[in-house]
Amino acid sequence: MAASAAPVAPARLPADMPLPNRAGLRALSGQAIANALLAIFGVLFLLPMLWLVFASVDARASWSIEVPHLTAANFADVLSGSNLQSIINSIVMSGVSTVIATVCGALAAYALSRRHIAWKGPLLLAVLFLSGVPLAILVIPVFQMYSAIGWLSLLPCALFLAVTSLPFEIYLIKNFIDAVPRDVEEAARMERASTFQILTRVVGPLALPGIGAAAIYGFVTAWGSFLVPLVLITDPTQQPGSIAIFGFIGNAYVRYGDIAAFSLIYAVPILLLYTLSSRLFRGGFVLSGAVKG
Amino acid sequence: MKAPRTPMTARAGTPAPAEAGAGHWPGTVPAAEAPGRLAVPEGRRRDAERFQWGSLALLAPAAALLVVLFIIPVVYAFYLGFTNLQLVGINAVDWHFTGAENLRRLAGDHVFSYSVELTLVFIAGSIVGVVVIGLALAMLMQVALAPLRILAGGIVVVAWMMPAITAGMTWYASTTARGTFGTLMGLANSDFLHSEPMLIVTLANIWSQTGFAMMVFGAALRNIPRDILESAQIENASRLQRFARITLPLLRPTIVTTVLLITLISLANFGLIYVMTQGGPGNATSILPIYSYQQAFQFNNLAYGALVGNTLVILCAIFGAIYVRVSMRRA
Repeated sequence: MAASAAPVAPARLPADMPLPNRAGLRALSGQAIANALLAIFGVLFLLPMLWLVFASVDARASWSIEVPHLTAANFADVLSGSNLQSIINSIVMSGVSTVIATVCGALAAYALSRRHIAWKGPLLLAVLFLSGVPLAILVIPVFQMYSAIGWLSLLPCALFLAVTSLPFEIYLIKNFIDAVPRDVEEAARMERASTFQILTRVVGPLALPGIGAAAIYGFVTAWGSFLVPLVLITDPTQQPGSIAIFGFIGNAYVRYGDIAAFSLIYAVPILLLYTLSSRLFRGGFVLSGAVKG
Repeated sequence: MKAPRTPMTARAGTPAPAEAGAGHWPGTVPAAEAPGRLAVPEGRRRDAERFQWGSLALLAPAAALLVVLFIIPVVYAFYLGFTNLQLVGINAVDWHFTGAENLRRLAGDHVFSYSVELTLVFIAGSIVGVVVIGLALAMLMQVALAPLRILAGGIVVVAWMMPAITAGMTWYASTTARGTFGTLMGLANSDFLHSEPMLIVTLANIWSQTGFAMMVFGAALRNIPRDILESAQIENASRLQRFARITLPLLRPTIVTTVLLITLISLANFGLIYVMTQGGPGNATSILPIYSYQQAFQFNNLAYGALVGNTLVILCAIFGAIYVRVSMRRA
């Protein structure tokens, strides 16, 4: 077996160094071990997800993992009535929050990237620091403030979610605007473009991958938020999907298939958006052609 | 093309002909016409690095939101921690400053000190797990076959993307009685989530964050110049030596930053634990964010919950200071 494997070994090596056969063998066995280990990790990470997929299409689902009695009823159940309403609430909450955070974030990021501002360094550091403050400490004072003015509902909650993702969005967009060559903007200024026109016609389109990535970040954070809507929304009909799924567990009559289907559906927009954002980053940044030599 | 950033050019209010576009902002023109200010030396760009009133308009919306709904609440939370505010009852309306009373209560609160312990265990376990598994995966991906790499990498990244609610449900179902893990281990009726709650929630947190670390480490590994590793190989350095003497030192800044991010994200990961255990059984998984929520909204002690939250901020500040120390030592 050793004899048959030896001649193949050098061809499989990543480096084209001529290695003696024994080293080649060792590298080959090392690669086999690496592949096996990676496969084991993959299976371990996959295991918890299996229940989610199987139970979501199982008519007789329970907590245990079984061969499903195939049905689409769970998904139909989840996409109707109050469950559908909670998904719509999620869309409204995340959408409003994303628009507020991205517009305010982009304006601030442009000023922080291009304009002269006193104490800019410490200001940016403070913004970065804010993005690290744990939300758990903010919900109590904000709850108290909101309840004083009767704001414990969907849209004010979206506003607060926007604020929580704002610091990181400012940082992200600023990094992208920094990469847009100033010459392009100055050319527009020569042509007497106003600041608004420069923002919407020049810098905005050029920094679009960054603004898009920031918007996706904002949407994903709002969509996945749990603690904030749990505390800041009192009306059950306004609760987003994340709280609605949680409500399933406490029910005396638990519908396991619905829980799995709802959890799965709730994860789908996030998976799609992340894929989109990785494409945004990869398609990235070909701005070097915008300025001539 | 670049003008040097000197304070002089920054403060000088000379008129800038090229700035015609910004002229519609009120205030720009009077400031620009102020006579007798420091003149810009000839040859400097006159449109660079001056304060413009328009900048304030651009910053205003974000600044207003951050001040009103972020900074004021943080300060307010510190104040609330020293009051007797309740969620319902008499003290919900008629509440006042009570000085160190809540602090005394905190000092004698065994659940609180247990909660601090649990938080540290949760953070330490998550950091070790995420960094070790993330780094191992990133290194395995470098040598593994392409299809396996894409498949395994995809699974780990999907686990990272899942919203906390889905990840929590997934792990609840897998570790409760008759769940996937128990069934596979031949202990179908054992409820791991009940018998080893802290271990399970930490594992769930590791599971849901490793993908991020794996991607960051993968990018950092690709940036290590190949010739360094190859020359070490020619010098007969063993695999372990190459890892300990070359890869690890070069990855150190990335690891330090990742550790801080994992710490902050884990502390913010309220949803995952709350969905799985709601802090229970008993207080077995009630880390500080959960205990703060329970005190405020389940036991109605808003003020005491705020104080528990404040200790969390102090904990974060300590972690941040350690991070700054460690990354300074590098420079």
